Amino acid sequence: MIGRVAARLGGAVFVLWAVASITFFAVRLIPGDPAQAVLGGPGSQASPEALAMVRNEYGFDQPVLVQYLAQLGRLATGDLGRSYALNQDVGPLVLSQLGGTLLLAVLALALAWLLALALAAWSTRGGTVAARVGSGLETVAAALPHFWLATSLIVVFSIWLGVFPPVSTGGATGLVLPVLTLAIPLAGFLGQIMRESLLLALESPFVLSARSRGESERGVLWTHALRHASLPAISLSGWAFGSLISGAVVVETIFARPGLGRTLLNAVTLRDVPMVIGVVMIVAVVYILMTLLTDAATRLADPRLRLS
Amino acid sequence: MSDLEVQAELSDRAARSSQPGRPRRIGAAEGVAGVLALFLVVAAAWPQLLAPGDPLGIDPLSAFQPPTLAHGFGTDESGRDIYTRILHGTQYSLLIGAAATAIGLGLGIVLGTLAGMLGRVVDFTVNRFLEVLFAFPGLLLALLIIVIYGPGVVTATIAVGLSTAPGYARIIRAQLISVRSTAFVEAATVLGRTRWQILLRHILPNTLAPLFVLATLGIGQAIVWAATLSYLGLGAEPPTAEWGAMLSAGRTYITSAWWMSFFPGLFIVLTIVTATVLGRSIDRRMRHA
Amino acid sequence: MRHPARTHRLLAATTGIVALGLLVAGCTPTGSNEPIGEPQDGGTLTYASGDAEPSCLDPHVGGNFPQALVSAQYLESLVSRDDAGQIIPWLAESWTPSGDALTWDFTLRDDVTFTDGTVFDAAAVQANIAHLQDPTTLSSTGYLALGKVASVEAVSPTVVRFTLSEPDSALLESLSQPWLAMESPTALERSQDENCASPVGTGPFIVESWVKQNAITLVRNDDYTSPPADAAHDGPAYLDEVIWRFIPDSASRYAALQSGEVDVIDNAQPDTIVQAEQSDSIDHLDSPRPGAANRIELNSGQAPFDDVRVREAFIRTANVDDAVSSLFQGTATRSYSALSSVEATAVSNAAVFDYDPAAAAELLDDAGWNETDADGYRVKDGVRLSVEFPVSTNQSIPAEQSVFEQIQATAKETGFEVKLAPLDLSSWYAALASNDYDAVSAPYTKVGPDVLRILYHSDSIVPAPSGYFANLAQVSDPEIDALLTTAARTTDADERRDLYTDAQNRILEGFYLLPLYDQQNHYLLRGDVVGLRTLPTVAVPTLYDAWLNR
Repeated sequence: MIGRVAARLGGAVFVLWAVASITFFAVRLIPGDPAQAVLGGPGSQASPEALAMVRNEYGFDQPVLVQYLAQLGRLATGDLGRSYALNQDVGPLVLSQLGGTLLLAVLALALAWLLALALAAWSTRGGTVAARVGSGLETVAAALPHFWLATSLIVVFSIWLGVFPPVSTGGATGLVLPVLTLAIPLAGFLGQIMRESLLLALESPFVLSARSRGESERGVLWTHALRHASLPAISLSGWAFGSLISGAVVVETIFARPGLGRTLLNAVTLRDVPMVIGVVMIVAVVYILMTLLTDAATRLADPRLRLS
Repeated sequence: MSDLEVQAELSDRAARSSQPGRPRRIGAAEGVAGVLALFLVVAAAWPQLLAPGDPLGIDPLSAFQPPTLAHGFGTDESGRDIYTRILHGTQYSLLIGAAATAIGLGLGIVLGTLAGMLGRVVDFTVNRFLEVLFAFPGLLLALLIIVIYGPGVVTATIAVGLSTAPGYARIIRAQLISVRSTAFVEAATVLGRTRWQILLRHILPNTLAPLFVLATLGIGQAIVWAATLSYLGLGAEPPTAEWGAMLSAGRTYITSAWWMSFFPGLFIVLTIVTATVLGRSIDRRMRHA
Repeated sequence: MRHPARTHRLLAATTGIVALGLLVAGCTPTGSNEPIGEPQDGGTLTYASGDAEPSCLDPHVGGNFPQALVSAQYLESLVSRDDAGQIIPWLAESWTPSGDALTWDFTLRDDVTFTDGTVFDAAAVQANIAHLQDPTTLSSTGYLALGKVASVEAVSPTVVRFTLSEPDSALLESLSQPWLAMESPTALERSQDENCASPVGTGPFIVESWVKQNAITLVRNDDYTSPPADAAHDGPAYLDEVIWRFIPDSASRYAALQSGEVDVIDNAQPDTIVQAEQSDSIDHLDSPRPGAANRIELNSGQAPFDDVRVREAFIRTANVDDAVSSLFQGTATRSYSALSSVEATAVSNAAVFDYDPAAAAELLDDAGWNETDADGYRVKDGVRLSVEFPVSTNQSIPAEQSVFEQIQATAKETGFEVKLAPLDLSSWYAALASNDYDAVSAPYTKVGPDVLRILYHSDSIVPAPSGYFANLAQVSDPEIDALLTTAARTTDADERRDLYTDAQNRILEGFYLLPLYDQQNHYLLRGDVVGLRTLPTVAVPTLYDAWLNR
């Protein structure tokens, strides 16, 4: 048991090191002068003294290998460095952005689950037509690109109907459209998997025996079948979380919502190396944690796995 | 898990839950998807047939026209006909999707075969490598590649291809391992065939069909990712008639000209749904064949 | 200052000096004119900027337009400029140049304190100029503007003397800019990080907090005493609080204004301006920026544009009028000048920029570009007539990028292959620094016509160590150099104007640039925001006179 946990942790550390190295060298390959990027608030004409100072301060005049080792050393002590573009320590900044993105992701995941469950429950009990409609809806929902869904929701709910604000700056109503944008396609994926498992579960021996014991149809659905059908969807949640974070890049940009995704895209366009590395590291950490958690949740929820 | 693996899993479940030996007739969804696929392929190969105009031809004086009989999908900010642009854009989207899928699948085959065939050390190394790549969920890897090599259609295609490769690799590895342990492969081993003979004669033919299904499902994903990159200003460059780039241009005018972003988005969705339905249909048919 | 472009209107006048009267209309909101009562105190105004969030709120550091926008609410300059282009008092009450124009004595107001309690006096001015000229401040815009200032001394607590290395006719214009605003010397002694997060000035608002990537909160300065001479009222501002947000997506920004989430937006796009003008609840404030007009510079330093005939052919083949009218939908006026229409010295010459493809074709034939390849592009000695055109997506708004696309389409008809390359800011700078361009559009904001010297004097072809050079047309004409150098040293207003007129005529007739429109600077505001105006210096809004009619 302890061995397995240690192996897992060692694996996680290895992945983080590799992620940090890949990101560092990747961003270093970009052509252009990083000192200019530090001073390059749009429109500033950097003086030679300023450039020289920045090169020295950030260590750009050092060999790349030295810069790389320095970077790793700082990472090991939890120091993510200093953002070129924002002139602030990356660590606290990224952490302050993490909350907003996590809130968005968790709400979207929860809503996607609800939508998927409701659709699956309805479409498995409503006969062939309902099954077809449900399956069609799920397939289309899963195919909706975030950027298109977001702009369409803004047109309908903000511009035509004026119900929800098009920007998400605090306040509960501002969360509605971003959460919907992320939840609908995800619900499409989760719904498909739940419906298939639900159909299988409803025909399984334990449901038949529950029915024969005289349990109500509703009771059977809620207590046995749905629980059983959720298992594969739980194991999907790790993936779902990763895809939500990647979706946050688009959604936070469109809805002007502070968060990791928007920070990352900004950092990418400004070539803010420490910031890109910081965001990617945090995403990797959170993603690895989520994967471990969903593994554990699957084990807990599935008696067969718990035994093995 | 990667997007591709989720797609494959869904297709697999759909195929398993459908009853074997059910009538082979074509369902309504499959019929519609077939017609759409044909339409898209014709639009990609001979766009002039369906839309005789010039997708880049400007007409400033008829800019921002809502959908009318003359311009079915309206016109954009430079008076270009959106219907014409969408149809001519099909070739970009399908080509980018196909090329990215080919890159992803190709790399996936190499990595997956190495891991699945070359013993534990290689398998372990490749697996660690894939694990690292999986720590960049979704678009993150593609974004990183774009930052380095700069935006553009070619980079975006390669970026999407590379970021889908780990998904393909893992599925292929799993498939190889399961085929390798089947009875006929074990029999061939007993008969003294070399590892590579077995791979070529027995294993590959048995994994090709699933690969085809995988590629069909993957092409939809590749198209969305490429369009997303264009939308973020990192892929195809305006005034190219690429769907994501058209949507990106339309975003600016969303409050006054919804048609500029609605129709390109609609075609992206239709293409992905078509790829999904067809992929699953082929999957089911091949299993029950 | 180089910075993100907006767009806009110019005067389709014939050659000559642009009349000032035409310009004033742009600076107060148009729209609802229902009777308004007395200004009301109180309330919170939310401002949404489409510009990038500054990395430092002290405009001495770097010095770009986003910093100017927000810092105009809490920092003030020695002088300002009124609608007619005249320099007016602000923190300095009066000023006198010496006979040789090498020393300037500024008499300061004696009743002003910074919001941290520090007294504003001659020593404070001295500390500010020292801060701007200190290389470790990393100032660029302010540093350049003070290039001729050799020393500053406090003659008395209220008199400060600037000593120049040579006469500078642009000194007052330079000092009016927000990038040279006065900050508390006590606050400047803090670390740069601290000062960037909460600069301290004498303005009507105080920086209370700044949550990065979210919002800057400004609160009213209740002890405010120093409005510029052209302000509408005295005493503290009306608003209690200002929330300054950043919403980069233009459609989201407008939708947020429509829904009342925010009260004022900048960088309004043409289609939203048209909608706003039809709406009762939203007003429009159009305030073109000073300095250079938005224009395409043709790189005369290398082929094919080293040949004046090819430059003229390119200009004749660009159908800018149709592009501007369709894309800007009447919100921008075509420019025929190198300078912004707010500059009194701007020379506009429409005849130079006629759209005439037939003439263009003839010019290209003359210049030897008389063969055509399979794609329909002209060829000379086996080389295609290609124009590399890097476009900064940070600095050109979407409508402007579409203008370039339309120019690309019309130029193709005459046989030019225009290669548009949308680039992020650093790649764009890199392309320019490596001389990898034939045409480029680079906005430049500066108060006064001295911007011409920065953009067209041959000295500006020499790259700074950063690799950047401002003379992107690579104009190298001794006569233009002489005119611009003399103008920069001439303090006589009429003589200075004549010199700038001659210089501009020579630049325009050399076909070095294709003017498009003024740098667009449109603000949209909720109908209940009253009294908002822009400072005539660099056209940034000031919320001092603004109040909420709710």
